[in-house]
Amino acid sequence: MAVDEPTAHDARPDPTGPGARRRRRRRGGGRAPGDPRNIGWLYVLPGLAFYVLFTLAPLLHTVYYSLFDWDGLTGKTWIGLSNYSEALRDEVLRDAFVHSAILIVYYAVFPVIIGLLLTAALTRTVIRGFRFFRTTLFLPQLIAGVVIAQAWTWIYATDGPLNRALELVGLGSLVRPWLGDFTWALPSIGAIGTWVTFGLCMVLFVAGVQKIPTSLYDAARVDGAGPVREFFAVTLPGLRDEILDAFVLTTINALRSFDIVYNTTAGGPGGETLVPSMYMYQNAFLYNRVGYAAAIATVLAITIFVLAGIVLRIGSRGERT
Amino acid sequence: MKSRLLGVFVLSAVVLLAIAVGASNAGKKASPITLTMWSYDNQDPGLQPVLQQLSKDFERSHPGVKINIVFKAFPDLVGTVPRALASGSGPDVTEGNQGYQTDAQLVKAKLIIPLTKYVKKYRWDRLYAPSTWGMFRWTPDGKSFGKGPVWGIAQTGQNVVAFYNKRKLREVGLNPNRMPRTFAGFDRLLAQLRAKLPDGEPVIEHGNNEGYGFIHLFGGIQGAYVNAQSVRNWIYHVPGSRYDTPGTIRALAKLQQWGKAGYFNDDYNALEYDASATEFAKGKGVFWIGGDWDSTIIKTGLGGANVGVMPVPPGPSGRWTSVGGLSGPWHISAKTKYPDLGAEWLNYVITSQRAKTQMFSQQQIPADRRTKAPSGDPYLAQVTKAFQLVANDDGLLLYTDWASPSMYTTLQNQFQLLLAGRQTPAGMAKAVQDDWEKFDKTLR
Repeated sequence: MAVDEPTAHDARPDPTGPGARRRRRRRGGGRAPGDPRNIGWLYVLPGLAFYVLFTLAPLLHTVYYSLFDWDGLTGKTWIGLSNYSEALRDEVLRDAFVHSAILIVYYAVFPVIIGLLLTAALTRTVIRGFRFFRTTLFLPQLIAGVVIAQAWTWIYATDGPLNRALELVGLGSLVRPWLGDFTWALPSIGAIGTWVTFGLCMVLFVAGVQKIPTSLYDAARVDGAGPVREFFAVTLPGLRDEILDAFVLTTINALRSFDIVYNTTAGGPGGETLVPSMYMYQNAFLYNRVGYAAAIATVLAITIFVLAGIVLRIGSRGERT
Repeated sequence: MKSRLLGVFVLSAVVLLAIAVGASNAGKKASPITLTMWSYDNQDPGLQPVLQQLSKDFERSHPGVKINIVFKAFPDLVGTVPRALASGSGPDVTEGNQGYQTDAQLVKAKLIIPLTKYVKKYRWDRLYAPSTWGMFRWTPDGKSFGKGPVWGIAQTGQNVVAFYNKRKLREVGLNPNRMPRTFAGFDRLLAQLRAKLPDGEPVIEHGNNEGYGFIHLFGGIQGAYVNAQSVRNWIYHVPGSRYDTPGTIRALAKLQQWGKAGYFNDDYNALEYDASATEFAKGKGVFWIGGDWDSTIIKTGLGGANVGVMPVPPGPSGRWTSVGGLSGPWHISAKTKYPDLGAEWLNYVITSQRAKTQMFSQQQIPADRRTKAPSGDPYLAQVTKAFQLVANDDGLLLYTDWASPSMYTTLQNQFQLLLAGRQTPAGMAKAVQDDWEKFDKTLR
């Protein structure tokens, strides 16, 4: 089986550490059975099998479906790339992507900034109960999206705590049904995203700071750097990898966001909070247009790949200079 | 190293085997017979306790039969039932939804069976008026709605009516026992109320969060301006039907005017339909215009004696209309092993006296038109009378969102835009008609 699999191994870096003798032998092609390098494949086999079965295969299947006019139940009709040309012309889908772009600001940019500020505060001073704060701020990550959506629906309700608080501080003029308001529904959903994500960013950054050598901080302090200078000269560059990771994770989250939207506004009012994943759901499960939904899913997946690629590329360029 | 390797193998094999065995066992619960039913009538108080009780009764009279009734939220059920039926491990009997989004699919994909045989056997034809049966009829290709064999049968009547808070009317000096009998009079009453009520208090408490609130509420206005049959024809895709008629556009303008005049609570888009009924039951607003299936919620809050029930009064034609029809259509799966038993259960929960008593106890109106409301419950009598007023005038408008798979979303968005002043009545009528025509082309 996989143990004797002869191809595809040679290009793989050897995880057990390079050895000159082994490398020579590999070039020769001969390999003793049970050679340690091949065992690695067996170890990844269960994971790989699941990955292929439950991620890769459905992904390819989706691309395949996107080439058909199909209601999900009865016969499929091959229509080539028609679904994609429709997607390019579809104004509803375009609006949905614009909404997603706005959500990226709330799901990715704000959390990273807040995460950095908190990290700067947490690392600079010793805070009593630090673990407690870290855990509490990270907690939203562990709660199911449906629960979060329900909780925020209450918070945003006309007679909910947010409006009550505004009234208390004399800002009664700002009281509004946040999720039902044409202007405020999307920012309100975005704010939920910020709340969910900034804890994750903070935990990533706080962990990252710990691997920055304290000697750098000492050096900065000896050179007379204040907290702001220190942050920009030492902390920020030291966290570059974590910031990139955070951006990739949160951007993907923003583009995939479905549960929060579905359970708060379902895309309303008047389509103001429709996002691509919601539109894909509507096409697949409500409009009986599985082929078109698959095309939307594919476009969304490509968008995510490209954006993640761009973020990572920006990162690697920084590394070289 | 080698033994560990072997261990991994053995472990994987055991796990896989266990999964395989588990899967095949799950499909083989042969005796006793289990029938799985799916329903979205999950309101409690409402139909959920009725169906649960009746299923228990049915089990008692049918030893060896187990009824496994599963309740789901409406969008969850209609979103999954076609694929569940197609998979073969879905329900034996299930609710679908009238219209092109769900039922047309189930018929076209041959996932459900026609009920012709059972209509004859149990004399179901006597249950509803002939025109009412249209909502269960499809040609076998799923293209023509309103004709062809019968594929479904429903348990209760559904009627969108105006509930009014009698105490509030009295407080502003109006007589709740002399309500207007014409739409023009109703419209004047609303304007009067707006002038008399304090600013923050809505005339009509409303919930449109899910998007169907205004689809329901608008029917009362539309029915005053256009003929009921023309609305049904449009839903059934009778050639030449139109939504962008002068009557409908004037009705849309009237709704927009109600919104501009501040008749509704300003959080209607954020508030769920049933939640708005609860708010009304707590004393918010003078009117709540919505489904009579929520009448228990309202009775519980305000007390039956303080609530009046009537359909939105008719226009110049004098014929009562309202959005409504019958509750969700029950279907029998084409893959069930026990279609006859499924039909017997349906017959029991829909036509038996026990079923009707149970339904009335939850303020639900049995769909069987021969049913008499129990005496001694004036509130229930009002709800029943409101339904029969409309049904006898052949005024049930059905639901406009049945007209195409995407019509629900289109109407949801357009009503929200219209009420926010971001869409004109004529613009909305055109957008809705465009959706209809786009889908109509696929039927020809």
